Amino acid sequence: MLFPTLAFGVFFLFVYFTAWSLDRENGRRKVFLLLASWFFYAQWDWRFVGLLILSAVLNWGVAALIAGRPGEKNGWLVGLGVAANLLILGFFKYYGFFVEQAGELLARFGWERDLPLLQVILPVGISFFTFQGISYLVDVHRGKTPPAKSLLDVMLLMSFFPHLVAGPIVRASDLLPQFERAPRLTRVMATHGLLLIVWGLFKKTVIASELSVNLVDPVFFDPTAHSAFDIAAAVYGYAVQIYCDFSAYSDMAIGLAALLGYSFPRNFDQPYRAASMQQFWRRWHISLSSWLRDYLYVPLGGGRKGLFASCVNVFITMVLGGLWHGAAWTFLAWGALHGGVQVVERLGRAAFGDRRVLPTAVGVLVTFHIVCLGWILFRAESFELALAMLEGLGRIGPVEVLTPLLLTLIVGGLAMHWLPPRAVEGMAERLQAAPSLTLGLLIGAAILLVEAVRPEGVAPFIYFQF
Amino acid sequence: MTDDRDKTGGQGGGPEEPHVPLEPFPTHRPESPFPPLYESLPPPQEPPPDPPSDWIETADAHDLPTRENALVALGRFAFPPAPPLDDEGVAARDRRWTSRAVVTATIFLLVFNAVSPLNWARQQPPGWIPQTVERLSEVWTEQLAVFGVDMPRRGLRETWDGARDARFIGQAPAPGAGSTPRGE
Repeated sequence: MLFPTLAFGVFFLFVYFTAWSLDRENGRRKVFLLLASWFFYAQWDWRFVGLLILSAVLNWGVAALIAGRPGEKNGWLVGLGVAANLLILGFFKYYGFFVEQAGELLARFGWERDLPLLQVILPVGISFFTFQGISYLVDVHRGKTPPAKSLLDVMLLMSFFPHLVAGPIVRASDLLPQFERAPRLTRVMATHGLLLIVWGLFKKTVIASELSVNLVDPVFFDPTAHSAFDIAAAVYGYAVQIYCDFSAYSDMAIGLAALLGYSFPRNFDQPYRAASMQQFWRRWHISLSSWLRDYLYVPLGGGRKGLFASCVNVFITMVLGGLWHGAAWTFLAWGALHGGVQVVERLGRAAFGDRRVLPTAVGVLVTFHIVCLGWILFRAESFELALAMLEGLGRIGPVEVLTPLLLTLIVGGLAMHWLPPRAVEGMAERLQAAPSLTLGLLIGAAILLVEAVRPEGVAPFIYFQF
Repeated sequence: MTDDRDKTGGQGGGPEEPHVPLEPFPTHRPESPFPPLYESLPPPQEPPPDPPSDWIETADAHDLPTRENALVALGRFAFPPAPPLDDEGVAARDRRWTSRAVVTATIFLLVFNAVSPLNWARQQPPGWIPQTVERLSEVWTEQLAVFGVDMPRRGLRETWDGARDARFIGQAPAPGAGSTPRGE
């Protein structure tokens, strides 16, 4: 059940009215939201609801054990809990990849073996709820968040349907306090939520879908059949597509949660206006980059042990961040590219201090093109295809796939990065004073516009596979 | 630059009326044919003299009884004014406001985007629910089409399709561009 579908619309209307009719009894409300979230998740594969429950019970139990032994050494408990989470993630997401790689390695040395290959189905959103569970355990251990008061809260934290399948990675310290009392809905929150939902619908179903179907997919499928113009357009188009796709999901998730009275953290902040790779990661998938910082980079040592160690740590963090996105060498290379550029930036800062080496505009252009280079690795299914894309950039020929509409969408998708940074919030502030009828008609008209121009059917969000 | 109308001050009067120059902008406001309003009103009457004072030096004005209109008193009894909203009241009011906006948007879409449930039903595997939705949607869409409420969506779609089919000068139609499934 994807967000931009009629089925989800009906589902959400039911959840919205039922949840608010239960607002006097917070416990029942949470039980209802949990059941609704499981129903939502079961639409992909009902068997994995059990995995979700198992993961929640595991994290709740370990956190309760940690909290029950104050002042004692609980590092081994945390390690055990994190390892169990990683085992679940590793089995479902990386088992096939590692067995395949091991088989190839053994074959190179002449020790060919029939390794037990399994067709493991990847549960949707497993990376997100596993990371959420790990952050909960570590935060309880560090004393950053108290343990949840009930198993229900942990289950809802990990299963809450707006963020369940593609984030943002909402931490326990953000959401558990909100679960403790019946939520309040203010006009600003509601208006902001509705605007984010409509804005997300537009980005996903109009911009991302159109670019994907008519430009990116055909060119990436066979780069050798296209000229440099089309390939360059496809690369820029993919940069816009993945931003519009993923940020749309985050926007809609934040908006849906807001309509139910819960506040999620921001996940994107106009990433393509970043003037360095470090800035890019402060603006792109903020919930993941801050997760990687707090639970990987800092435990590795962060920047406490000098320049060299910090460079190594940031590189390892980014490579593992790449692996988090998928079990493929291209994702590892993508992470290595981002990590390598950040290392260069660190060395540059160490050499030149805070002096600005490049003008901001040049920094933005350079960073954007490095990011685009990374997107080629990210999107291509193999290194051969990625290389074919890069080779194609030198092939002069007629423009065949790029059309005026697609060019407009690319330019528009990039131009939205130079809108006022809090444009939606500002609009929500103004609209909250409007009569409900006016707001309803505006929202309805905006959705009608999106519905009228969208292609039939909606491709799953790119980040569902992660 | 003057004309006949200018000479008469735009009143259409006879040639014996005095010339009123109108260039470049009106310099004279024609008098109203009606007498001034104050002339039609009766002269103001003197208010009646105050009754002899019953002022008691030791009395406090707050102790004096005040007379209230009986209807106002009855209204206040029958429909007592609501107490000022507390936090819970404000939250409930905002929820109602949000719910009205959501319902309005839903009804708007049910009318102007009536074809959406029909499209959804046609994409589903056969079953009781899709078939029921399809039949109901067909009737609903046809009945609404009589009023032309499908025109905005249709117009937007045609505009979008036109933009999608546009090509750069000298560019051949893109292969497979017309094969994209469309929303109608």
